[in-house]
Amino acid sequence: MFGRYRGTFRRECGDILVEAETVDGLLTYRRRCEGQTFERILVSNTGEVVINPVEPVNLPREITDFLLVEFSPMMIEPGASRTVYLKFPVEIGVFVESARDIEVLDVFAFGTQKYTLYGSPTNGVIARWYRSAVYPEIPQVDPFREGVMELSIQNTCREWVEVSRVVFESTDMKIYYGDFVAATATMKLLTRTMAETDFVDAPLRPGMVKSVELYTARKIPAIDRGYLMEWGFS
Amino acid sequence: MTFNVTEVLEIPIGVGDITVERLLYFVFILALGVAVAKVVSINVRRALAERLPVNERELLAKLVYYGIIVWAFVVALPQLEFDLSGLLVAGGIAGLVIGFASQSVVSNLISGLFLMFEHPIRIGDNINVADVSGSVEDIRVLSTVIKTYDGIYIRIPNEKVFTSNITNYVHNPARRFTYEIRIRYADDANAAIRIAKEVIETHPFALKNPAPSVFVDNLGDNSVNLTAYIWAPARNWWDVRTDLLWKIKVALEENGIEIPFPQRTVRFADGLEVKGRPGEKNE
Repeated sequence: MFGRYRGTFRRECGDILVEAETVDGLLTYRRRCEGQTFERILVSNTGEVVINPVEPVNLPREITDFLLVEFSPMMIEPGASRTVYLKFPVEIGVFVESARDIEVLDVFAFGTQKYTLYGSPTNGVIARWYRSAVYPEIPQVDPFREGVMELSIQNTCREWVEVSRVVFESTDMKIYYGDFVAATATMKLLTRTMAETDFVDAPLRPGMVKSVELYTARKIPAIDRGYLMEWGFS
Repeated sequence: MTFNVTEVLEIPIGVGDITVERLLYFVFILALGVAVAKVVSINVRRALAERLPVNERELLAKLVYYGIIVWAFVVALPQLEFDLSGLLVAGGIAGLVIGFASQSVVSNLISGLFLMFEHPIRIGDNINVADVSGSVEDIRVLSTVIKTYDGIYIRIPNEKVFTSNITNYVHNPARRFTYEIRIRYADDANAAIRIAKEVIETHPFALKNPAPSVFVDNLGDNSVNLTAYIWAPARNWWDVRTDLLWKIKVALEENGIEIPFPQRTVRFADGLEVKGRPGEKNE
């Protein structure tokens, strides 16, 4: 389903139907997912419809830029580093693109979402919450529901540290897709309560295609500076 | 009779050596300054529309606007033969006079500046200030505009805003709200707690952490009273509150747990004689 389409098309994957068809002489985009339908008339001569996975912080309503993935606690030795694999939720973004501009048309996803507070109620941040197991290798995922995150954790402090959650700023997120959806991220443990997280702009496997980012399409300038987790990670 | 424009322009207006020409220059420079200020501030707003939060954008646009006007005023003043160094000398006395005359205006202005820089409230925040509840529409130099939840426009002088207790409902990222849920004594309170927690868990914006809390709070006259504490994003809490309560009620009823009506057990010392039962004859 992910890819670029011009004119009329129809893609059906399980419970998802995405199509653009001519209705009464008007090109109409239609999406059905879990019983919900979304329609828009498209007035375009040269435009393309782009469908790809996007940053999972838009549903049911966009209220935050942060993603928190919780996982089984890991004890990490001072100076140690390790790459593990986590799963993260996938939202599917549909864009309309022309030579001069790109715009978000639709965002949808399977299942329900859950949000949480990272930090204190006075100065923390609201984040999209997701629970994942920790995998030593790339796990099997349904590309329309979950993505694989390669997380490289490095403990730069002089103590053993327990880690059971990681928070990212989604504006930094670089998502690639192919057989599955993937992102590559780093987590550098600075102290027992502080860590720096960031995304790496590289495909997990050769040949994967980079997703159009929502922040690019919405023309929201964002500085890729990573995120400083100040309120602990266990 | 011939009309000579040059002569008209050279007519003194009666204040010092100021002529009509110089007065017109003054007005022109000031008008040009206001026009430029408007154009520049509109463009600043446009350029920063999606780059800065509304509050910062408005503050910057206003600073630019008033900065250009002040600059135009200073540039135009020499046309009126106004010596700025003289202003400095006279500043002490003039300041006293102006200060007394415009005490409330200056007070509102200073309060407005403090409000803009201290940020106790921002444009779009839901607040309660000076017994007025609503969302902040604009923070101006002299006043703050609030739109009440009924859609009514209220202008509050900044001095009043600054010196009043301000309750900002969305200043923190999350806030808690409470439900009181009453169930019958015959119902299983543990089951009711479990069902309520399950319903809360399904709502995306009922926060995972801080975790919701549902417990038996007290034993009432007619019911076992449960209390539910739920945290939600501050800007969405009202939607969550209105959405969840009915879902909890429906889920409880589906599981045979009902909200009780008030009831009284009445005992008669001499027993109760009931007359006029069906089938009985009236004497």
